[in-house]
Amino acid sequence: MRSFSRPELVERARPLLGTYVTARVSANSARSAHAAIDRAFEAMAEVHRLMSFHEAASEVTQLNRCAVRAAVRVHPHTFHVLRSAARLSRLSAGAFDISVGGRLVEWGMLPAPSTDLHPDPAASFRDIVLLPERHVRFHRRLWIDLGGIAKGYAVDRGIAALRACGVTRAAINAGGDLRILGRGTERVCLKTAERYPQAHATIELQGSAAVATSCGYPTRWPHGIVWRTCHVAGARGEAVDPRLTASVVARSCLIADALTKIILIQRAAAANLVRSLRAEAYLHRPDVAGSQWDAIGVSP
Amino acid sequence: MKSRLLLLPLAPLALTAPAYAVTYLTVEQAQTLMFEGHSLARDFRTLTAEQMQAIEKDSGVRVTNPNLAAWRDDSGDYFLLDQVIGKHEVINYALALDATGVVRQLEILDYHESYGGEVHLPAWRRQFVGKKHGSPVELDKDIKNISGATLSCGHVTEGVRRLLSTYAIVLAPRIG
Repeated sequence: MRSFSRPELVERARPLLGTYVTARVSANSARSAHAAIDRAFEAMAEVHRLMSFHEAASEVTQLNRCAVRAAVRVHPHTFHVLRSAARLSRLSAGAFDISVGGRLVEWGMLPAPSTDLHPDPAASFRDIVLLPERHVRFHRRLWIDLGGIAKGYAVDRGIAALRACGVTRAAINAGGDLRILGRGTERVCLKTAERYPQAHATIELQGSAAVATSCGYPTRWPHGIVWRTCHVAGARGEAVDPRLTASVVARSCLIADALTKIILIQRAAAANLVRSLRAEAYLHRPDVAGSQWDAIGVSP
Repeated sequence: MKSRLLLLPLAPLALTAPAYAVTYLTVEQAQTLMFEGHSLARDFRTLTAEQMQAIEKDSGVRVTNPNLAAWRDDSGDYFLLDQVIGKHEVINYALALDATGVVRQLEILDYHESYGGEVHLPAWRRQFVGKKHGSPVELDKDIKNISGATLSCGHVTEGVRRLLSTYAIVLAPRIG
């Protein structure tokens, strides 16, 4: 018979949310670890079904097709992400803006939704109106893309599902947006946009936390002669510098995920916002001789 | 929240390029997980040139391997084993289809990253070499977490599309 005194470690991976998602769980038995991971993957798949830009049946697609004509009622998860996005847009003066879907379609990074309603170039997050009873209405023609925030939220849902199963030690990583559950010191290695890094950047954490990283390298795309990343500076509608890498430590992965985009755009100017969200950020700028990491909103 | 950024030095002799590799499940573990309580019988096939062409036409995905690794259970469900090769990665995965050919479950078995020709491989990748599911490792002590820009899962998505066409053309029971 197998002894149950030693915790079983199980790690599994699935393609979800457009990337590879891994869930690692330490539990009393392999069976209970697998059962908890099944629940976590289900919770994350639900976020994907609701919020994917690509899925014709998602609520995001439904909003992009219908919300300018009439209010659309959405799932509590979708409403929560839209409300969080609206708050982050306000706090970042529009640097974070989920109405960038049209620009990403224009750049060839997202497929055009099947609708004859093309986005109004003047549209912004201010045209997304959240109404009572989880209704959403657009005041201008626009396409929202939750790619900058929903993956983090999915990780939070996955961790919540694990906790509901009684799991106390785990990690979920959705293509670099990760959250750790448990006590003790953890290290998270950061991949930067640098091809030949001079050192391994590692974030050391105390206890449960989320870490998200965004950088230009794997997502840059030839568009004319300019190399663009998939990250749009909301207020200006321009691509962010593809050489930058931003990593954010936060209590929730939703906040960490969204804040990376704000850091790529506002850099050190976002320090107060980072502190007010009780997060910590690190920005890598390879253009500075000797590979420079700036700590943003981190108390010395 | 308290975090600290450490810049750990590169190992000076990291001149060979062992790739980052991780195994999540063995084939047997995946079969147990996906077909608990059912016995699976090997139903391996070799695709004909015509079948490969038909699958390519139907799925829009290139078929390079004529060997189809399939297992069938007593109720007509299938366990399919497949490999996809991306620009930077090789992935083995398992797909469970129900008796009507609908995807029931997908599990990635292993993931191998390859950086052809690059010799300055970060030393932390090497810690993963030889790590297997079930090795006596402490959670997050031996295997570190990695945070970086998102990798697309497009190749597995294409692989699934190819397998669904393969099922329809090769494995699905013929009516009448």
